[in-house]
Amino acid sequence: MTLHSETCDVIVVGGGHAGTEAALAAARTGASTLLLTQSIETLGQMSCNPAIGGIGKSHLVREIDAMGGAMALATDAAGIQFRTLNASKGPAVRATRAQADRTLYRKAIRRLLEAQENLAIFQQSVVDIEIRRGRVEGVLTAMGLEFSAPAVVLTTGTFLGGRIHIGLSNHAGGRAGDPASNALAERLRALPFAVDRLKTGTPPRIAGDTVDFDRLEPQWGDEPCPVMSFMSDGSEHPRQVPCHIAATNAETHRIIRDGLDRSPMFAGEIEGVGPRYCPSIEDKVVRFADRASHQVFVEPEGLDTNELYPNGISTSLPFEVQFALLRSMEGFERARITRPGYAIEYDFFDPRGLEPSLETKAVAGLYFAGQINGTTGYEEAAAQGLLAGLNAARKVGGSAPWTPGRHEAYLGVLVDDLVTLGTNEPYRMFSSRAEYRLRLRQDNADLRLTPVARELGLVDAGRWRRFEAKRAAIERAAAALKATRLTPGSDLCARLEARCGETVAKETNLFDFLKRPGATAADLRAVQAVAADIPVVALEQVEVQAKYDGYIRRQDREIAKMKAQEAVMLPAELDYESIEGLSNELKEKLSLAKPGTLARASRIPGITPAALSLLLIHAKRLSGERAARRSA
Amino acid sequence: MSTVDTIAAVATAPGRGGVGIVRVSGPLTLEIARALTGRKLPPRAAVYCGFRDGDGAALDRGIAIRFEGPNSLTGEDVLELQAHGGPMVLDMLLERVLSLGARRADPGEFTQRAFVNGKMDLAQAEAVLDLVNSATRQAARGAVRSLSGEFSKHVHAIAHEVLELRVFCEGAIDFSDEDIDFLSESDVGERLASVRKRLSKLRARARQGALLKDGLNVVIAGAPNVGKSSLLNRLSGEDRAIVTSVPGTTRDTLDADFDLDGMPVRVVDTAGLRDTGDAVETEGINRAHRAMAAADVVLWVVDDRAASGGPGGDACTGAATIIVRNKADLSGRPTGSISLGAVRICALTGEGVDALATEIKQAAGYRAGEGLFTSRARHLDALAAADAALAAAAERLAANYGELVAEDLRDAHGHLGAIVGRISADDLLGEIFASFCIGK
Ligand SMILES: Cc1cc2nc3c(=O)[nH]c(=O)nc-3n(C[C@H](O)[C@H](O)[C@H](O)COP(=O)(O)OP(=O)(O)OC[C@H]3O[C@@H](n4cnc5c(N)ncnc54)[C@H](O)[C@@H]3O)c2cc1C
Ligand SMILES: Nc1nc2c(ncn2[C@@H]2O[C@H](COP(=O)(O)OP(=O)(O)O)[C@@H](O)[C@H]2O)c(=O)[nH]1
Ligand SMILES: [Mg+2]
Repeated sequence: MTLHSETCDVIVVGGGHAGTEAALAAARTGASTLLLTQSIETLGQMSCNPAIGGIGKSHLVREIDAMGGAMALATDAAGIQFRTLNASKGPAVRATRAQADRTLYRKAIRRLLEAQENLAIFQQSVVDIEIRRGRVEGVLTAMGLEFSAPAVVLTTGTFLGGRIHIGLSNHAGGRAGDPASNALAERLRALPFAVDRLKTGTPPRIAGDTVDFDRLEPQWGDEPCPVMSFMSDGSEHPRQVPCHIAATNAETHRIIRDGLDRSPMFAGEIEGVGPRYCPSIEDKVVRFADRASHQVFVEPEGLDTNELYPNGISTSLPFEVQFALLRSMEGFERARITRPGYAIEYDFFDPRGLEPSLETKAVAGLYFAGQINGTTGYEEAAAQGLLAGLNAARKVGGSAPWTPGRHEAYLGVLVDDLVTLGTNEPYRMFSSRAEYRLRLRQDNADLRLTPVARELGLVDAGRWRRFEAKRAAIERAAAALKATRLTPGSDLCARLEARCGETVAKETNLFDFLKRPGATAADLRAVQAVAADIPVVALEQVEVQAKYDGYIRRQDREIAKMKAQEAVMLPAELDYESIEGLSNELKEKLSLAKPGTLARASRIPGITPAALSLLLIHAKRLSGERAARRSA
Repeated sequence: MSTVDTIAAVATAPGRGGVGIVRVSGPLTLEIARALTGRKLPPRAAVYCGFRDGDGAALDRGIAIRFEGPNSLTGEDVLELQAHGGPMVLDMLLERVLSLGARRADPGEFTQRAFVNGKMDLAQAEAVLDLVNSATRQAARGAVRSLSGEFSKHVHAIAHEVLELRVFCEGAIDFSDEDIDFLSESDVGERLASVRKRLSKLRARARQGALLKDGLNVVIAGAPNVGKSSLLNRLSGEDRAIVTSVPGTTRDTLDADFDLDGMPVRVVDTAGLRDTGDAVETEGINRAHRAMAAADVVLWVVDDRAASGGPGGDACTGAATIIVRNKADLSGRPTGSISLGAVRICALTGEGVDALATEIKQAAGYRAGEGLFTSRARHLDALAAADAALAAAAERLAANYGELVAEDLRDAHGHLGAIVGRISADDLLGEIFASFCIGK
């Protein structure tokens, strides 16, 4: 029974971080897009901690921004405390983290969605996906409304078969306060996707007026205040407030240990696997029993609420234990909980069932993005959303999919890891996952991605103009530094030597001089070695290029090798089981991943150069046979 | 596939006399030719010239021929250097080519490139696969042999120390906002210095050959009383094994080392294979099977008067097999090569043993013109590269570039991983999570 039916190019299901970026990206490229979500009020809702960014994560946010996405802009509009992480380390591993006001963040996302052309938003829960002959045709909502589209992006987060645990009791739920998507989960379980369970958790929230802040150490943001977006200058930021640092103690740990028999994790109630790097407080106390104390960051939930988020005590212990452990901490003796902490278990799909475009291999036109692919985190979800939305629109428009390589973006690392290796815990980005991290910096995300994003139709004229001006300034700065000679004994040389504590023994130029540890762009500016009209950001960019020069060139050689392997396609019909000389373990892994290219096969754990040789020869033979058949 | 690496190997069987060939294939070929000969070689012309080392001193004189891809053996630019042979000179020539940017070729790699670049037809695919399969099996055997025992223990230990350093450095980068005391810079420096000391000691010992064994493993097998022990004595030139006319005399494996035209060879004599109730002999036969499984070349000895040919059933191994028809004096047939992989000899007089030596060299894998016995050299290359990366890490640490130290350590770890197995980024993260309480 159909009461109403509509047609568009791309349907996005779910209005979380993946869904909103997906809808925006599809619409930016000109596709008529419909965003269907359970509730318009929760568009852009942060389910867990009120913070965006961090090491590896802010790299993703800057990449989304470089491709015209929303997350960085919304963070700049909602951020109430900004810090640069790894400030004392090199530029490749520097990152930005912002505390965000939940309400302001939701508002900013909603504003961007409503301002987006080609995008319609509709509040409805999706209960079914229509598939005919292996192709997606549309979706059906709880009310019985039918929407048709040749491409559907599914971004339902933790909602599929979601089950919330507090102590030994549990109930169905998508996250606290929102219903689980059970009808849809049932439907998806019947399709040929490999489903498994993961879990994650969140701490109790606290009423700020019941905490004794005088006994906690405040932590203010950095001055000058960092920004997330390449388009921002800091004037977007609302009022800035501090976080506070608290700590657990021996008594806290005793309370936790006494409550372990009622922990759903330890009692075996939860089958889903949780993230190793985001353990619950009960996990930390058990696994690192020798630690006398664990740090807790007390983060404000927003400017117009006194609710607090105690980062570090995620827990699914029974409420009474949560209450007691909280009150055992210094400064929290009178604290009241506003919402209990909980763990949530949910369905995810083995991402090895996806193409690098995030289209499912099983159903043409159906894309998955976000937490349903086994990732965790807003940034990971948003980055996938952008990619899936873009590729869904491209498919409808008849264009080939686009995915950045591992050497081009953290997004490339994320997607390649997922589709090649799959995951058995919630996947979070870390800088150490990116082997080319020296080139994948947050400072050059725009240089890496804005030009291609412009070609893909994701970047508007305003951003493009600003980018071109910046790029021109950098090129000018690099040329100027390379052209300026530095001769021992010259006046300029003497000034620089004195300032940087370096000695110049034979003639060089300013670019090569910048490779030295003691030399910085600021020094060049200070001794007036370069024209005053070259902007500092451009000089700094050139300094980074100089400092990493030799390493980047070595990586370039590695990348050339990888690209050669990327050009070797491993056809889908390649039967790994029949390849003599491969170990059974490798046969199994390869059959599961169906790597697509030799490069992707090379990243499967346990693969050997000899195995790659065999794959190469088999692939070559298969393609030769096909060519022979065609010409016959 | 457009290849980026330039590969090189000694393409002829090792031997003292005659001419030896070093073959180079890949994009750097032209550059290497110029640096080595000091001139621009015209394509497809044999040029008699001097080969020079890095200081310009002469290594040897010989013929260089340059082929331009795609009209070459591999379909890429190829350089062939014919030198006056002698393992030493060829080794030095190869090392020189490697120092100019080439990498030691993997087993079967020239043939593989030829196939991938369309220089062989599809029908040859099976043969190429066989070659790669057997070459890698042999190389794996070689690696296991040269990696045996002490050497492997040392490399593992060093790789583990590098891993620990990476755990600290990567942890300090990815989890700098956690309240964890990762190693202080001075501790990293100390540990780095100690692992470098360990590595250079190991390299020195490995270079002297104290730890790495390489060479050909030849196993003599067959039925009792066919003349296996007699052959061992013949090949090694000494009376190692007891020879009697009583079947089942040899009950344990027995070996001897000898030098086959400059190639180190270990021959192993084994108990004759037969069904027996004798417990000691049965154990000897088990050992014989194990020795055959580890062999590079099996000499399958039969009595020339018998009709039977090669080994059957479970006596078959992946190793190259040469059928040795012994006791030619009794059968009255001529000694010498019968066909590829079969010779007739008389162990009693030594007739035909020269032809057998030639067969052994052929079977050692030089058939396809691709050196196989390079696992030891490969290990040394990897250790040298790891050493250089650790030196760079120390330099960067002094300059206080944490992320570059991490990069150099990753590089070093990768080179060690080429010997003892690589670990993934996720494994590294796993180590970090296991060592430190991470996460809020
Ligand atoms: C309890 C909890 C703890 C977490 N802890 C952390 C943490 O510590 N660190 C961290 O980095 N991340 C954490 N996360 C994860 C983070 O919240 C998610 O990774 C991120 O929000 C995923 O984004 P998403 O867009 O994939 O899904 P979500 O943000 O979950 O959005 C899903 C959207 O889909 C909508 N939807 C669902 N079903 C339907 C349907 N059938 N029809 C229409 N719309 C539907 C929902 O209403 C929602 O808008 C936690 C999440 C939860 C719930
Ligand atoms: N006539 C002749 N006798 C041989 C020859 N080789 C070995 N024998 C004899 O065969 C017998 C068994 O030899 P042995 O080497 O012990 O054989 P094994 O059992 O295979 O090790 C001994 O009596 C040898 O002298 C040969 O080439 N000619
Ligand atoms: Mg004997």
